[in-house]
Amino acid sequence: MKNNFKNLIGSSLLACASAFGTIANAADSVNVAFFLEWATPNQIAKVDKAYDEAMGVDVNWTDFSTGTGMTEAMLAGDIDIAYSQGLSPFVTAIQQGAPLKMVAVAVVYEANDCFVRDGLGIDSSNASELEGKTVAVPLNTMADYAFRMYMNELNVDTSTMTIVDQAPADGAVSLADGSVDMACIFGGASAKAAGEVGSPIMSTQQKTDAGIGSFDVISVTEKFATENPELLRAFLEVTEEANSNWTASDSQIAKVAADAGMDVSTTKNQMAGFIFPTAQEQMDGFFGPEGIAASAAAALGLVFSSDSDGSAIAKTIDGSFLN
Amino acid sequence: MFEWLSDNRALVASIIIILCLLSFLVTVLIGLRANFIRPDKEVFGDPERTKGGWYWAICGISALLLIWFYFSWGVGRAYFPDAANEMCQVAKIEEAISPITASLPVNSRYYKSTSLVKRNIEQLDELAREIRLFDYAPDQQSQLLAVIKDIENILASLSNPAFLKAETQKEIDFISNELIFLAEKFDQEYLSFVISSDALLQDPWGTSDVEIPMLPQTKRGIMYDQMSLDVKSLSKRFLKLRHFPEISKVLIEETKEKLTDLKNGLDETSLDEVNQIKLAGFIKYTDRIFKRVDDGNIFPPGVLEEVTASSNYFLGQLDESKGTLALIDIFFLPGQGVVKSKTQCTEQGSARWLPKPTDVVAKFVVLANPNIEAGGGYKGFPLLWWEWVSIGNLVGFFVPDIFVDLLVENYSEHLESGTFEPNFYDKMLFFAQGELNLGYIPFPNGHIWDSLVRVIVAMFFGIILGVPLGIYMGISKFFKSFFDPLIELYRPVPPLAWAPLILTIFGIQDDGKIFLLFMVAFAIMVISARTGASGTQLSKIRASHSLGATNGQILRYVILPNALPEILTGVRISIGVCWGTLVAAEMLAGTTGVGFIENVARTVSDYELIWVTILIMGLLGLFFDIVMRILIARLIPWRGKG
Repeated sequence: MKNNFKNLIGSSLLACASAFGTIANAADSVNVAFFLEWATPNQIAKVDKAYDEAMGVDVNWTDFSTGTGMTEAMLAGDIDIAYSQGLSPFVTAIQQGAPLKMVAVAVVYEANDCFVRDGLGIDSSNASELEGKTVAVPLNTMADYAFRMYMNELNVDTSTMTIVDQAPADGAVSLADGSVDMACIFGGASAKAAGEVGSPIMSTQQKTDAGIGSFDVISVTEKFATENPELLRAFLEVTEEANSNWTASDSQIAKVAADAGMDVSTTKNQMAGFIFPTAQEQMDGFFGPEGIAASAAAALGLVFSSDSDGSAIAKTIDGSFLN
Repeated sequence: MFEWLSDNRALVASIIIILCLLSFLVTVLIGLRANFIRPDKEVFGDPERTKGGWYWAICGISALLLIWFYFSWGVGRAYFPDAANEMCQVAKIEEAISPITASLPVNSRYYKSTSLVKRNIEQLDELAREIRLFDYAPDQQSQLLAVIKDIENILASLSNPAFLKAETQKEIDFISNELIFLAEKFDQEYLSFVISSDALLQDPWGTSDVEIPMLPQTKRGIMYDQMSLDVKSLSKRFLKLRHFPEISKVLIEETKEKLTDLKNGLDETSLDEVNQIKLAGFIKYTDRIFKRVDDGNIFPPGVLEEVTASSNYFLGQLDESKGTLALIDIFFLPGQGVVKSKTQCTEQGSARWLPKPTDVVAKFVVLANPNIEAGGGYKGFPLLWWEWVSIGNLVGFFVPDIFVDLLVENYSEHLESGTFEPNFYDKMLFFAQGELNLGYIPFPNGHIWDSLVRVIVAMFFGIILGVPLGIYMGISKFFKSFFDPLIELYRPVPPLAWAPLILTIFGIQDDGKIFLLFMVAFAIMVISARTGASGTQLSKIRASHSLGATNGQILRYVILPNALPEILTGVRISIGVCWGTLVAAEMLAGTTGVGFIENVARTVSDYELIWVTILIMGLLGLFFDIVMRILIARLIPWRGKG
């Protein structure tokens, strides 16, 4: 009797909770997170409502300023798909146990640069002279990841360096003042300021040869992927179509620029550094058995937490929605 | 010892919670009794009334700890250590059945088929309306309208129960029966299950990176876990279920051909560019709607009713089988409950950002471990420890190199033999640079020490410079009028606003951070000293003057003692504000310090670490405040009595 009473309270409370929580979740609309000032070809599909047409539901686009914000919104159930979430917030979210999944690569771009102050006479050929020097690094970001990768590639012992945690803008200032010898920077304006007084430790070609790069991912909630796989497939198909239709013609760039909230020349410059891999390229290069997606995520996980388990992160990477 | 405590956090917490509960109840009783037996002779508002009352302090701390334990799921973990693991298995079942329930009106209003038909028809109507307005190419117009009609026919054929294939019906029956069969298994005895050794080897709840162990650790958990596997394979079968009657197949093929014809014929039209693009758009949109229809996931009405009924039955049985687990979930795991991801099960709700008190202490112990190699400290630097520092280095710190440079005529060069012989000047340089071996002394180091030094040095300069200036501003026309505008202009500016300037002026060393804190302390000290000095009663000054006191004596024996209570209150306030500004100061160029730890922890949302730093700063602030209270009681017993 007593037990029945408990069950009654329990189930009625549960019923209330679930009635409020999930009734609105029937996929009548899909909520997608994206970044403003981050120009991608799929913005043409977004403006032309190609996503709405192909998926048959209303696609609501919400702009975010940080990838961590996207994670928070996905945890709260307000966002189903995050387009172009950075690799670092994704890995952080996975390490915190967030029920998310990487289903595709959105954009591939050059890794953030580390600028060595001019006048020190240090470049990639004598990089070991950096030992004992002071370096400004925004810790636990993609710039931090790039820094560890460069130093590893150039055989520089980072434990001998004084590493100062500085935001990119501050790092650029300290580099100009001479209080640090190298500054690792992300973001256009700060990189430009640092480029005035320093030069990148590795050139674009060297970075490509060493396989050091960054990419943004398309991440989804586990719930959305299991409940609406057909919508997810349609989303990726439209993205793929938009990428393959991209010719960088003036009319296309103007359209993307308007949607991204930037002027045409900035958009052009930004997109010049972007690669949008096709579904086939992604499956071969990123999501294959020895794909870059898993190895990069595992390496990044180690930067954030030295006892990170790379195989756990690899479980959340799933390229099966691409075909 | 620590290892054992760390692995048995649940047990430790359960004892602490009982102690907290007891001390809360006991202190409330003592407090009530003390109030009851005290003769109420004191007047309301008499400060003497606030004296004593240690039991209320203990009561407050116990209440705070209890609330913290409760909302961080600490109570749940202490008394129901298996609950989260079992809820994780339940979450597995809920995840496994979600592909089935997503297409049924479970937790939603419509069948997925219904919403698809409704949406497609609406969109087709809209499209047909637009195409009718587009009369530049009558041929294509009529063809498109025909295709739309075809798609509507496909929808009609898919929705007709008469066309349902026997094998599809059989499969639906099978899934539905299987769900009921599985639901009955919740009642079954599960005591015969054997817990796998892998499951027992998992780290307990909350002691490692994996928050809640995923493999079932109880017999009931194993039942749920195995059930989730069965449901998963059933969901797979359900996802493969397609409804394609022959008649629809024929229609689909026909429509496909018509659409291909339309696409191919697009180039041969005599339309201008704008209209051609528009026509292409119509064809594309029609094609997209068609592609959604030909997936075969639209079922006739009523067909899935039995699956709905059995799903609801299954979920009902699941809830029933939880029994007390459901209550534990509601009352002891407040928030969204346990959520499963690919790699682990996690706590969602208040416990996500509020780590359990025992976990925070365990994290603190790890950080406080001075052995860096064993994983102690943070970013290769201990929290608070000591090291051997060469005296030469200390001397070198205080003697600037430039003094030697001014004295020196020339430094020596290396010899032909490939060696280096230092001359007298070189040795002086060694001395100034701290390279001379003068022996070693132990010296504290660590994140907390670095933060402490910054605050104390800033406070020192703030007091040394601020108090005299404040006192003179209280008694001299020149000082008051000259400095007042300057001080009042910079005082209201928040310290963070100075941060960008500090970085360029001082660089990344400690001096910039100290200067930022100094500015905060200085303003408060000036204001409090000035208020104290100008608040001296004139009668006291006149009295001492008429007794023959000199100006200096008046300052030393009348004004300063009068200002001292205000000054010490100023010190108390400014120490608090300095700790508050420390996080911002150490964000400028973080190398060490408590604020640095918090800044880095924030980037990876490491809530345990964030709470550790918050507690460290809070406890240090409390320590300083207690020291100040003792000082105030010793130094100025006349406070509040003049």
